[in-house]
Amino acid sequence: MSPPHRVNPQPLSLSPRQPKDPTTTKMARINFSVLTILSVILLLPVLSLSFSPDSPSDRRLLVLFDDLSLKSSHSIFFNSLKSRGFDLDFKLADDPKLALQRYGQYLYDGLILFSPSIERFGGALDLAAVLDFVDSGHDLIIAADSSASDLIKSVATECGVDFDEDPSALVIDHRSYAVVGTEGDHTLIAADDFIESDVLLGENKIELKVRVLNVYGFWIKQAPVLYKGIAHSLNAANNLVLKVLSASPAAYSANPSSKLSSPPSLTGSSISLVSVVQARNNARIMITGSLDLFSNRFFRSSIQKAGSPKKYDKSGNEQFVAELSKWVFHERGHLKAVNLRHNKAGETDEPAMYRIKDDLDFSVEIYEWSGKSWEPYVANDVQVQFYMMSPYVLKTLSNDKKGLYHTSFKVPDVYGVFQFKVEYNRLGYTSLLLSKQIPVRPFKHNEYERFITAAFPYYGASFTMMAGFFIFSFVYLYHK
Amino acid sequence: MARTTSSDAQALFHSLRSAYTSTPTSLKIIDLYVCFAVFTAIIQVVYMAVVGSFPFNSFLSGVLSCVGTAVLAVCLRIQVNKENKEFKDLAPERAFADFVLCNLVLHLVIMNFLG
Repeated sequence: MSPPHRVNPQPLSLSPRQPKDPTTTKMARINFSVLTILSVILLLPVLSLSFSPDSPSDRRLLVLFDDLSLKSSHSIFFNSLKSRGFDLDFKLADDPKLALQRYGQYLYDGLILFSPSIERFGGALDLAAVLDFVDSGHDLIIAADSSASDLIKSVATECGVDFDEDPSALVIDHRSYAVVGTEGDHTLIAADDFIESDVLLGENKIELKVRVLNVYGFWIKQAPVLYKGIAHSLNAANNLVLKVLSASPAAYSANPSSKLSSPPSLTGSSISLVSVVQARNNARIMITGSLDLFSNRFFRSSIQKAGSPKKYDKSGNEQFVAELSKWVFHERGHLKAVNLRHNKAGETDEPAMYRIKDDLDFSVEIYEWSGKSWEPYVANDVQVQFYMMSPYVLKTLSNDKKGLYHTSFKVPDVYGVFQFKVEYNRLGYTSLLLSKQIPVRPFKHNEYERFITAAFPYYGASFTMMAGFFIFSFVYLYHK
Repeated sequence: MARTTSSDAQALFHSLRSAYTSTPTSLKIIDLYVCFAVFTAIIQVVYMAVVGSFPFNSFLSGVLSCVGTAVLAVCLRIQVNKENKEFKDLAPERAFADFVLCNLVLHLVIMNFLG
């Protein structure tokens, strides 16, 4: 990535009018090829490590701090990222050499903003640069706390969540706070109102799960998550953002040290504690109002929810954060669809055009990225549309559990330019939007049935009338 | 009453038949031809009612060829009837020539529409 050094500038400074010396030209060629090889060798590790469609997991993360003590106080989270193969780059948020891209290439696949109080990033980084980073398909984790600056709040606002305007407000919950030694002000919350999604939070809850008997039956519950920080709400106009962890119905957002004079602006389960966004370009964003959520202290802390007899030795934070970060950095829930194929029934080649009422076979392969390899994606709700202005055919694809989705149907009795469309949007998964255009023609003139058996009486009648006319003419003219 | 009606009808048919015997043979031939065409058309309509209207163009051309034939034959009959004063000046040869031409056109159209 370093600028190529001119080892021998002489051949380049040759003016065109000078007679060319063959040895100099040869030298220039050698120099040039050496430079090319050198730059390719330099670029190779960068190319192989960067985000690519073949292995969508992020590799290089930039972590921004307000002060470097966070590096040790949140070390468990960072070590878990490192052990999952991430290449972490720790920087102070006001580092004057801060840059996300160089020569038009992004240096990182993901950005972790653990710098809630920063008013101005250092270097080339600013609000627009962060948004461009996301717009180009890269991932982002924002953690704020009570000291959240306008800059961090505006990044969050652009992502579709609004932090509480009041700078002194914290989430308070007098019913589901975490029991600690002293009574406290109930700003340390034991939150367990998770979104029900295995792709976001992972299926592996074995360590922490406990079976809770409820009038509605059994369900598996993760240990509550410790939370201490500020509240945010989702922007109703943004339908890509969703609450992963919401506050209990009794929570509200206010300044814990002063008396409430007016009703709080954010209350109940409209308060989101942790939210995620999956943008249309499949960039993923996680936003939370608690930087402590990721801290070693919360990871290691035991937790008991107020009013609940069950005491957990370990809070759910570590598991929750690890699983959610796997999702954010595309280690889970990333789908790809390949080998979209269609052909006439009984044939194998893809035709350039179909005729109305043809029988056709359609297949597509869908795989899910497991963090290491592409595994077959198994679902029974993938549908294909045969689409021209509106879907004429909508079929659910059947799959062979190896990633191949297949169906067959009859082309409708309408000709025009159609599309095969697979639109698959499921919570937590990357959205699949495939379309392939295919024209459909009417019957050719000679493809209609020629002599229809049912019409033989009509043919007979017509020819009888002709014969009748002929005989009648003779009889009429010669009847004397 | 019933007896009277029946004998009246008999008298009516009798007088009709005796009047028809005086009709020239040429007109009788035309009448037979018209009856044949109408009968064929009715058979096709009944067939369509039973089998269904699938090759509808074939059905239309079959029935219309019969109906067209009948209409053209009736026209010929009107023109060659000596008692019809309206066509007194029209030679029967001319009337027959018109009839042949119209039939040719009709059957050309029918053949194209038969499918």
